[in-house]
Amino acid sequence: MSTLFQQLVNGLTVGGIYALIALGYTMVYGILKLINFAHGDLCVLGAFIGLTVITSLGGASGSPEIWVVGLAFVAAIIAICCAGVVLEFAAYRPLRNAHRLSAVVSALGASMMIENGIMLIWSPQTLVFPQGVLPQISWHVGGVVITFTQLMIIVISLILMASLYLYVNHTRFGTAIRASAIDQDAARLMGINVNRVIVSVFILGPALGAIGGLFIGLYYRQAVFDMGWTYGLNAFIAAIIGGIGNIPGAMLGGLLLGLFNALAGGYISSTWQQAITFGLLIAILLVRPTGILGERVAEKV
Amino acid sequence: MSQEMSHTGPLLKLDNVGISFGGLRAVDQLDFAVEKGHIVGLIGPNGAGKTTVFNMITGVYKPTDGAILWKDRDIGALPPYKVAQCGILRTFQTIRLFSGMTVLENVLAGQHMQTRQAWWASLLSTPGQRREERDLRERCMAILDRLNLADVAHEPATSLPYGVQRRVELARTLAASPELLILDEPAAGLNDQESAELNTQIREIRDSGVTILLVEHDMNVVMNVTDRIVVINFGRKIAEGEPLSVRNDPQVIEAYLGSDEDEDVA
Amino acid sequence: MKEQIYRWAGPSLWVLGLGVPFALSANWISILALFAIYAVVALSQDIVLGRAGMFDMGHAVYFGVGAYTTAILNVTYGWPIFWTMIPAIIAAALVGGILAAPLVKLRGDYLLVATIGVSQIFHLAMVNNTAGVTGGPDGIFGVGVPSIFGHQLISQGNEYLVDWGLLGIVLLLMKNLEHSRLGRVFRYLKEDELAATTLGVNARYYKILAFALGAGIAGAAGTLFASQLAVVSPGAFVFTESVTLFAIVLVGGQASIPGVLLGTVLMFVVPQVFRELAQYRYFAFGIGMIVVMVVRPQGIWPRRRRMG
Repeated sequence: MSTLFQQLVNGLTVGGIYALIALGYTMVYGILKLINFAHGDLCVLGAFIGLTVITSLGGASGSPEIWVVGLAFVAAIIAICCAGVVLEFAAYRPLRNAHRLSAVVSALGASMMIENGIMLIWSPQTLVFPQGVLPQISWHVGGVVITFTQLMIIVISLILMASLYLYVNHTRFGTAIRASAIDQDAARLMGINVNRVIVSVFILGPALGAIGGLFIGLYYRQAVFDMGWTYGLNAFIAAIIGGIGNIPGAMLGGLLLGLFNALAGGYISSTWQQAITFGLLIAILLVRPTGILGERVAEKV
Repeated sequence: MSQEMSHTGPLLKLDNVGISFGGLRAVDQLDFAVEKGHIVGLIGPNGAGKTTVFNMITGVYKPTDGAILWKDRDIGALPPYKVAQCGILRTFQTIRLFSGMTVLENVLAGQHMQTRQAWWASLLSTPGQRREERDLRERCMAILDRLNLADVAHEPATSLPYGVQRRVELARTLAASPELLILDEPAAGLNDQESAELNTQIREIRDSGVTILLVEHDMNVVMNVTDRIVVINFGRKIAEGEPLSVRNDPQVIEAYLGSDEDEDVA
Repeated sequence: MKEQIYRWAGPSLWVLGLGVPFALSANWISILALFAIYAVVALSQDIVLGRAGMFDMGHAVYFGVGAYTTAILNVTYGWPIFWTMIPAIIAAALVGGILAAPLVKLRGDYLLVATIGVSQIFHLAMVNNTAGVTGGPDGIFGVGVPSIFGHQLISQGNEYLVDWGLLGIVLLLMKNLEHSRLGRVFRYLKEDELAATTLGVNARYYKILAFALGAGIAGAAGTLFASQLAVVSPGAFVFTESVTLFAIVLVGGQASIPGVLLGTVLMFVVPQVFRELAQYRYFAFGIGMIVVMVVRPQGIWPRRRRMG
């Protein structure tokens, strides 16, 4: 029984990270109907920038001061937001009226570029996050271990998701985002600056993604240049489970996928865990392509 | 005796047909029949459910109630391609030509069901396949000729003027040798001269042995070419009969023609 | 005149290619042999993606099925290479058709995502040594060379000619496709599926056929790939390969034979020539893909509008 609860805690941690990254996919898809394949790699770039700040300011050994960790997050967020905006401006905006596949290829190209850019700047090897970046505290509750890192990831993810939800549903600009997702032309006619909305989505998504990426680094204590595909695809699957384009759906999908992966890996087979995840993805697409919470169809007949 | 031979009733019969989308009842308890060799008009105000009826007949939507009988056989559950194989062919309210393809290539699509070549013959370009391709092109050119489209046969279809595109779509549908031709607002967007030509073409098509069911707003077309008219409003039939009697039906005038007469006065 | 040049340029280039083993160095022969194999795979991807308009991002799977079929039959059961090509084509076409049967009802991005899933599952299945026949992460070594009438085609030049011959056959098939019912039906489905079905086209049948056909041709290329490299491992059929094939069609030009061949040159031949810069390969590809799409969204060499 305690194994089950341990898997649930682990699953919730990873699920929180997936949800943060999934939000970036779903917000862009909601408005541009584009799978931003580069999003996973942007998140990984965030992890590398954060790691660089931590190792250069905090020293390779010992625990860095709390402000160094904070600075790592701030630096990663700022850098990834800038990268997101540049990406939108250079790779996606010129293709907004082109055939949808052209933008997909551009996104794939951006993904390759960022992924291999990370490899060229940092290293093709796996980089290790120093021990003790975060307090090495853990709690034992009836045989279940919860580390400080896990608790932090779960709590911060939930706070961020709740804030985003409130922002999108209860502010003027949030309404503009939702309106643009439903009908860009109508939103434009109502005086909404759709370009500004799109840029904002390329700021919000990467900001959350950078945090998610850094969480991955801190949780697994390592980062490798090509992990964007793995985490990106999982987060993307999470977005689909919840209903692509649907913001609360991405949150729910992330948490559910984290739990599903932990249980499938723990109880069925760890070597086949990813295959099971993709099998789930295909099954969902066939049975309910709009996801759990989704109602809008991605493509009109 | 085959079923085909024994069939004596109407070609197409809608029997108590209805469809709901979510909670919305788009068409309800609709009955009407199309006799062989007739031109039947389906009219009604905007949003009355006319195109929905066409979509049900052609298999795009599945009716939730009732039966659609084609020569006494229920075709309500058939997918669109099987409905087409029965000999029921349609055009669309918003023209749906294959963009990036020439007029001839579009019309060749209509000959799909008449084409015999197997997929591997297509790949290997067998002598029989090449002969068939030549014949297909000749037949399609003949159809284009009939509709005065031979000059534009090699033009990209979607770059042509609107009225010409309508004729290309008609040619494509005729190339499929329909028994029943369903036209969804064939005169929409046509000028007076083009719409007059359309009247003649529709009669010619009927005289060549094709039964026609059409939705049209242009009363000039409806009153001049149809043998029978079915009027629907809010998804229900409110009148049916010959053009003249329908025109004088008070219920129809109130629901539909009333606004037209206002315009006439003004 | 221009029409004539266009008609004869392709066949002339292919005939010229027959002279490669006699004129060029061993290095170039092996590069062009791989070009021929990858060009066949890219053309088969184009059938599904560029012609029938289905977003298939798992095409390396069928290439892999063909290569593994050949490797297993040749290494484990001692079949001659040429004989393995038939089961390789059948196996790949079956996998393509069977996977497509449920998947073709998905549209656009949904199909794309589902085929990504298929690609990942295939890769994992090969790595995990499913049924104990795929050799796990290392793959299968010692795939033999083809033989004709008992003569083994040991020389690199002879193997090249076999690859070049397959490319020639596939180019001919693609050319035939352009003037046939099958090729037109694929385009009708790509442009407007609803209009096509109301004209009597059984969309599901033709979509599955497109997948099976594309997969079968990729499977044939897989046989020659296994023989050319003498080893088949999961690494050759990873998702990145599928992405590259997908990109070849769009960067080159959908449904354009010269476009797809040009795309193959850019994505497979150019990196072979600049091998010392290998680590920059995908970085440069990434930038290149963005630039080409922004400057020429239809691809570098788009399909010519035929006026005939």
